[in-house]
Amino acid sequence: MLALAMVSCQKSEEKTPPPPTSRALAPEDATGLFPYRRLSTYGFFEGEIKELTPTDEVLPYAPASSLFTDYAWKSRFIYFPEGEKASLTDDEIAFPIGTVLIKNFYYPSDFRNPDKGRRIIETRLMIHEEKGWQAYPYIWNEEQTDAILKIVGGEMEVKYKDYSGKDQIINYIVPNKNQCKSCHNQNESLAPIGVQVKHLNNTFDYGKAKENQLVYWTAAEKLEGFEGPESYPSLINYEDKNQALAERAMAYLDINCAHCHRAEGPASTSGLFLTFDQTDKMKLGVNKPPVAAGKGAGSFKYDVVPGKPDESILIYRMNSTEVGIAMPELGRTTIHQEGVDLIREWISQLEKK
Amino acid sequence: MKTLLKSLLAIIILANFSCGSSTTEQTFDSSKLRRASQDEIDKIVEDFILAEDSTTITIPEGFYALQTQLILDNKKHIMIKGAGMDKTVLSFRGLKSGGEGVKIVGNDIRVEDLSIEDAPGDGLKAQHSDGITFRRINVTWTNGDKSKNGTYAIYPVQCKNVVIDECIASHSKDAGIYVGQSENIVVKNSLAFGNVAGIEIENCDNAEVFGNVARDNSGGILVFNLPGLPKSDGKNTKIYNNEVRDNNHTNFAIPLSQDPNGNTVTMIPPGSGIVLLAAKDVEIYNNRILRNKTTGVAIASYQVTGFPANAPNWSPYTTGIYLHDNTYERKKLSFPDFSKELGKLVAIYNAHGFGKAQDIVYDGIWDEKISSTIDSNPMRICISEQMEGLRFTRFYLMDGQDNLTSFKDHEKFQNCTVQVDTNVGSLALIQ
Repeated sequence: MLALAMVSCQKSEEKTPPPPTSRALAPEDATGLFPYRRLSTYGFFEGEIKELTPTDEVLPYAPASSLFTDYAWKSRFIYFPEGEKASLTDDEIAFPIGTVLIKNFYYPSDFRNPDKGRRIIETRLMIHEEKGWQAYPYIWNEEQTDAILKIVGGEMEVKYKDYSGKDQIINYIVPNKNQCKSCHNQNESLAPIGVQVKHLNNTFDYGKAKENQLVYWTAAEKLEGFEGPESYPSLINYEDKNQALAERAMAYLDINCAHCHRAEGPASTSGLFLTFDQTDKMKLGVNKPPVAAGKGAGSFKYDVVPGKPDESILIYRMNSTEVGIAMPELGRTTIHQEGVDLIREWISQLEKK
Repeated sequence: MKTLLKSLLAIIILANFSCGSSTTEQTFDSSKLRRASQDEIDKIVEDFILAEDSTTITIPEGFYALQTQLILDNKKHIMIKGAGMDKTVLSFRGLKSGGEGVKIVGNDIRVEDLSIEDAPGDGLKAQHSDGITFRRINVTWTNGDKSKNGTYAIYPVQCKNVVIDECIASHSKDAGIYVGQSENIVVKNSLAFGNVAGIEIENCDNAEVFGNVARDNSGGILVFNLPGLPKSDGKNTKIYNNEVRDNNHTNFAIPLSQDPNGNTVTMIPPGSGIVLLAAKDVEIYNNRILRNKTTGVAIASYQVTGFPANAPNWSPYTTGIYLHDNTYERKKLSFPDFSKELGKLVAIYNAHGFGKAQDIVYDGIWDEKISSTIDSNPMRICISEQMEGLRFTRFYLMDGQDNLTSFKDHEKFQNCTVQVDTNVGSLALIQ
C-alpha cells in the first residue's frame, strides 16, 4: 500500500538531513507529510528498491525526446493518487493534487551491457501539492539501498564505459532544490516538463504491450479528455534518423532549450524562443544579435547564421563546458556531441539569404 | 591607502597616453575575512531554499565560498541582510553550473549589506519581481585577467519598482549596473567603475539615474533599446546629478585583437561618457561629464551598429532627447579612442578637426518618413547647454561611407525642450 493519500508539507523549521551515509538515518514512518527524508518511505517500488520495480499504482512513462544530462540514463514513473484522474483540455494536462513524478538518473557500468550492473545517482520527485508543484532531489547511497533528500544538492564522480567501450569519468552535479526551477519554470511557477501532451503522445513499450501513452492512461482511467493521438501535436525522438532533419533539430531544441527559451520561461529576456513550433526566424535566432550573452557570444555576431554553424552562437554555447558560456546552464558538465552534430547539420542546411 | 590610490591614478594617467587604461582596483580586501565553514555555507543555501514569506535571512560576517547558486524562489517580503559590504562576502569562484551567483524572484524583496564576488555569469540577478531593493551591495570580480570576468554585476530584468541605492559594481565584462526590460526604476548614490559599461538602462520604462559616480569604465551611463525583446521599446529616463568621469577604460568585452561580436557593448569606444542608442525620451541634466576622452555624450540610432534594424513595436531611432545644464570638461593631452569603429568615426570625421575629443556627438540619422530634412529636427534632439567652448558634432551618415560629412550646427537643436515624465517619485524616497 502507498501512504500517499494525504498531501501537505513538512514544516520548514525541520532540519534537512545530513548527507547520505551507509549507516543512513533512523527509520521513518510514512506519515503523509511530504517530503519524506528517505525515498523508500514513499513505497513507490517493490522488492529491492534498486531494481526500481514499480508497484501497480505507479506507471512508467517516457517523453519522445529526452533532455541531455551528461549521458545519464533515466527511468521515469508517475503516481496518480487513488481514484483521481488527470484531465486534458486545450493541449494541457492538469494533474490532480497528490500526483508524483519520479525520475531516476543512473549510469550502467557498461553502456553496451546495460543489464550488467548500474549505479543510480539521484531520484528527483516532483510532487503536486496544494500550493503547486514542488521538486525534491534524493541522492542514492553507495549500497543502493535507499536515497536521501538533500535540498542543497551535491556533486559526485561517476565512472562508466561508453558505447565504444571507452572509460568515462563524469563529475555529476545534483542541483539544489531551487535550481530545479531554473528549468521547470512556467511564468515563475514550478512546472513539469516531460509530462506534456507533445512529449507523451507517442508509443511506449510497457513490456506486455506497446501502446500510445495517453491511450494507455485513458484506458487505465488515469486521464480524461483525450480525443485520440491524431488530435494533438506529437514530438518525434530526435535520435530517430529516419525522421526529417528539421524536425529532429526542432525536437532537440524543444526538449533541451525551450523550457527556458520560450515566452513563459526564464530566458524570455533573450528574445530567443526555441519551441518545436517556432517559425519566426528572428525568434529562432536567425541573424539575431544576442542581448545579455556576455562571454557566451564568443567572437560571433548572431545566434544562428544560416549555412554557418561555426559562426553561430548556438553551436558555440552547446559546444562549451565553461560556466558562463555553456548552454543549458544547468544539467551538464560535458558536451553532448551527438546533439552538437545534429544542430550543426541543421544550421548548415538552413537557407542562406 | 591614499598613496596607493595616488599611484594607481598615476598608472591610469600614464596608460591613457598610450591606448587605453585598465584597472583591477578593489574597494577592500576580502581575503582577510574569516572563512565560513562548509556547515555555515550549507546553512545559507538552505536558508534561501526554505525561506518563508515575511522573514529575514541573515548572513553573518565571513567569506562564503559557494559551490552552488543561491536562489530565492517566488517569495514575498523577504530581507536578505549581510553584515556589511566589506564584512559578508559571497564568492562564486567555485560555481560549477548555473547562470548567476544569486538569483531572486519574488515581490517586495530587499538585499542589503553584502558583497558578491567572481560569479562566472552574472553576480546578482532579479527577474519577474515587483518591488526589489538592493542597498549597499558590492558586486565585483577579482581576476587579474579581466577577460575572465562575468557579464552583469547587478542585474534586475523584467522587474517592476526597482531601487538600487549605494551599491558598487565593478569589473563586469558588460554592464556593472544593468536594468533590463523593467518598469519604474531608481538607480541612485551608487558607484560603477572598471566595467565596460558603468550603468545601463535597456528597454525600460520610467527610470531615474541620479547621484551616482560612473568612472573608469569604457562607457559611463548608457540608455539603449534593443530589438526583438519581449519588452520592445522603453521610454522615459532621467539622468541627473551624476558624475560621469574618466570613462577611458579599455573595452575588454572582447579581446583587443577581435572585431565586436553581437553584444552591442563590444562596440562602445573607450572614452564615452553617456551613450544613447535607440533611446526614447531621455532628459540629461546637472551632470558633471568630465575627461571622457572620446565624447561626453553620444546620441546614436541603432543603425550605427550595422545589425538588422527591423523588429515589431520597436524603432531604431533615438528620439525625444533633452540635454541641459550639464558641466563638460574634455580630457587634455589625449586622443579619442581608435580601437572601435565609433571611436574612429569621432576621431577622424568630427567637425572640429582630426583627433579632437568631443563633448556632444549626434549621429544625425533621422526617419525620412517624418521629414525629408534634418533641419526641422524631426527626432526632437534638444540641446540646451552653454555651447561656448563646447565641441558639438553632427554627422551625416545616411549615404554610408561615401558621403560621410559632419557639421557643427548645434543651433538646429537648441530652442526646444522635451518633457520627460518618469513618475517614480515614491520609489526615490524608499529608505
